[in-house]
Amino acid sequence: MRAILESLLALALGVLVGAAVMAAWGRDPWGAYGALLQGALGNLRALTSTLSRSLPLVLTALTFAVAARAGMFNIGAQGQMLVGAVVALSTGLFTLPAGLHLGVALALAGLAGALWALPVALLKLVRGVNEVISTIMLNWVAHWLTLYLVVQKLSDRVVGQRTFLAPASMRFPPLYGELTWSWTVSVGVALFLFWFLWYHRQGYEVRAVGLNPKAARAAGISVPRAMLVALLLGGISAAWAGAIQVLGRFPYAITSDLANLGNLGFDGIAVALIGRNHPLGILGGAFFFGVLATGAARMGLRGIPLEMIQIVQGVIVVAMAAPEALRLLRRVRRRTTAEVPV
Amino acid sequence: MTQALLSAEKITKVYPDGTVALTDVDFAVRPGEVHGLLGENGAGKTTLTKIISGLLPPTAGRIVWRGKPVQFSSPREALKAGIGMVHQHFALVGPFTGLENIALGAEGGRILSAVRAAAIRRRVEELMAASGLQAPLDVPVEELPVGVQQRLEILKMLFRDVELLILDEPTAVLTPQEVDELFPILRRLAAQGKSVVFITHKLREILAVTDRVTVLRRGRTVAVRDTPDTTVEELAQLMVGEAVVAKVRRAPRPPGPVVLRVQDLRVPGAQGRPAVDGVSFEVRSGEIFAIAGVQGNGQSELVEALVGLRPWTGEAELLGRSLRGKGPAQIAALGLAHIPEDRHALGLILEFNVVENAVLGRIRPFLDPLGGVRWRRATHFAQDLLTKFSVQARGVRAPARSLSGGNQQKLLVGRELSKTPKLLIANQPTRGLDVAATRYIRDLLLRLRDEGLAILLVSADLDEIVELADRVAVMYRGTFTGVLPAEELDWEKLGLLMGGVAVQGARE
Repeated sequence: MRAILESLLALALGVLVGAAVMAAWGRDPWGAYGALLQGALGNLRALTSTLSRSLPLVLTALTFAVAARAGMFNIGAQGQMLVGAVVALSTGLFTLPAGLHLGVALALAGLAGALWALPVALLKLVRGVNEVISTIMLNWVAHWLTLYLVVQKLSDRVVGQRTFLAPASMRFPPLYGELTWSWTVSVGVALFLFWFLWYHRQGYEVRAVGLNPKAARAAGISVPRAMLVALLLGGISAAWAGAIQVLGRFPYAITSDLANLGNLGFDGIAVALIGRNHPLGILGGAFFFGVLATGAARMGLRGIPLEMIQIVQGVIVVAMAAPEALRLLRRVRRRTTAEVPV
Repeated sequence: MTQALLSAEKITKVYPDGTVALTDVDFAVRPGEVHGLLGENGAGKTTLTKIISGLLPPTAGRIVWRGKPVQFSSPREALKAGIGMVHQHFALVGPFTGLENIALGAEGGRILSAVRAAAIRRRVEELMAASGLQAPLDVPVEELPVGVQQRLEILKMLFRDVELLILDEPTAVLTPQEVDELFPILRRLAAQGKSVVFITHKLREILAVTDRVTVLRRGRTVAVRDTPDTTVEELAQLMVGEAVVAKVRRAPRPPGPVVLRVQDLRVPGAQGRPAVDGVSFEVRSGEIFAIAGVQGNGQSELVEALVGLRPWTGEAELLGRSLRGKGPAQIAALGLAHIPEDRHALGLILEFNVVENAVLGRIRPFLDPLGGVRWRRATHFAQDLLTKFSVQARGVRAPARSLSGGNQQKLLVGRELSKTPKLLIANQPTRGLDVAATRYIRDLLLRLRDEGLAILLVSADLDEIVELADRVAVMYRGTFTGVLPAEELDWEKLGLLMGGVAVQGARE
């Protein structure tokens, strides 16, 4: 309850600062915000576009959130998402019956994401390497590996600027407009993780470890296992973000500059913070993020320069993410002063 | 009578949480003396010196420095006036050299130029020669032994021209040899006209190095003595107080079978010094075996080893089964319950609600076959705990943080006892609790003992020890200085043992 109030306040603050910026440069802020809402939610087609944009963000945000619940700062969603996308697409190199093909693609992508998260967990638990460092490095490995595969191995023979198209047998069936049935993955994973964290023993242990690793250990909880589980589940979730972006959304391929995968992983961090690292909050946070992203194009039509749109988006996102980010930082500071052995 | 360099008059300190640390304390230091400040843990020694050195404001009372009343609002101001304190945890920058550490903060806001550095080095070398405090100046301090770091800390203070040097338990971190080196230096500083306040709870050290001694007990000044006119026995008694004749509430009870057997247990500590240096004991069913001692003598490490949180060597058996190589979960499964010393750090997860805390470490009975938690059942269990152990809480959904300290402890104790243990390890079970909660916990421990539970009690509170224990071991620097049956307990003996003085008749 307090969290929702806090978020609304932060939203109001962000919106006001954004308005001040636009007004200071002589633009009409309220008209611009109106355009934003119109563009994102004005009709069914706009709404499906917004939803479709937010779906992969749900998954990458969950990656961050489940690790944060275990007391870690996992920024590896970006790399895991790329790996998931490329593995899912590569499954199209085989021929399988419709439906089954999609299932196999998701399974392989999830496996790849977990494998990409595994070294992070092993380095942390065996050698004490901070997960921030290892995930940043693995993100770059994934980036260049994906780029290489997309450009050199998977590109379309005719249309050079993208990979081959995912065969129809492994696409998510369309629902309306840009929206496909891929929403079931995002919502399903969010609901699963909600259940896992609050109604399953291992999830309970993950939260215990995140809040007080010393007390968790004293109570006989395996701290390494909780962290491993949180990282692997996150890896799967992020990989599926990449997979549904490729198999559930136009252009059903990966563009040669990776533009349609963009910064899904990093944006997920902001979404997780907006959603208070809570799976259900993240559903709302991702939708909110989708609104900002989709509606921005409309603001451009009102004569707002792109840079200013990005400033306004940034201000609002920062304001919304700040409360949870501060909370995490405080916890980390307490932790480092308390010197917790893993 | 010599004019006092510093006097603290009628100092009272109440912490924001309501703890009264000092009541009307008088304390005076003369120029050129080494003045001992003696007391048990929690007697108020550190609080008093923090007030003198400007780290804490007094609630009431005044500080007179060189005949003038002063009010320091920060350690920096006190330092400028000439009062410097060396804390138990040093304030040195690890990667900096000794010289850089000494210059740090004294360099006058300018970058340390080569010329200034040379001047500083000359001063420091003079100080080293005059005081006898030798330390390398060009080695990063993190590579130096603790004793040498301490010398640098003292040099740092001398470099700022302090008149009054306060050392908070300076010998706690030193080896006996380093202690032997430190004492002549303190005498030399006094001979040069500096005043030294020397905080300790070790009686021998008071006699060895001080001119006068002030004894604090429970936040009050109980005595000021000229050191030559006092004895170890008198100081011991002053430190722990007269025995408030404890009503023996314990029904005599023949001890039952051995539940915990510990043989030559050793636990490594910081800096390669053993924290527990070979202790052996047994705890029997229906017995409270207490470990007394000033905190920091290895009690915490001993407990952490027994509950599986720390590596150790030697042998420990619970009901005949070795604890060697077992973790907290496995040891708990053998029948051990643990009330940890710091309930916030180890016992509870404050952000979790009452139900989640009630099943911490004992969630197994509340799981379905798939590992799902049956929260409804857990909630019933938590409600039962609240009733049975009279825990006051807003409800079972309230976060543990919202409970008072006493209620947090009752919740924790209730949870541990609900495991139906064979052995209960209670480490400082009533520390920081109000009178009612303390009474509740002590009565509960006595009742459990009468019902046949084996209890290992660790406490720094002598009242608690005398009231509860059937046998008492006193721990000092990682070993037992003696084991006494309850009938032979007396306060003087306890005080001596706690101060590290061997006593006739106490079994090693």
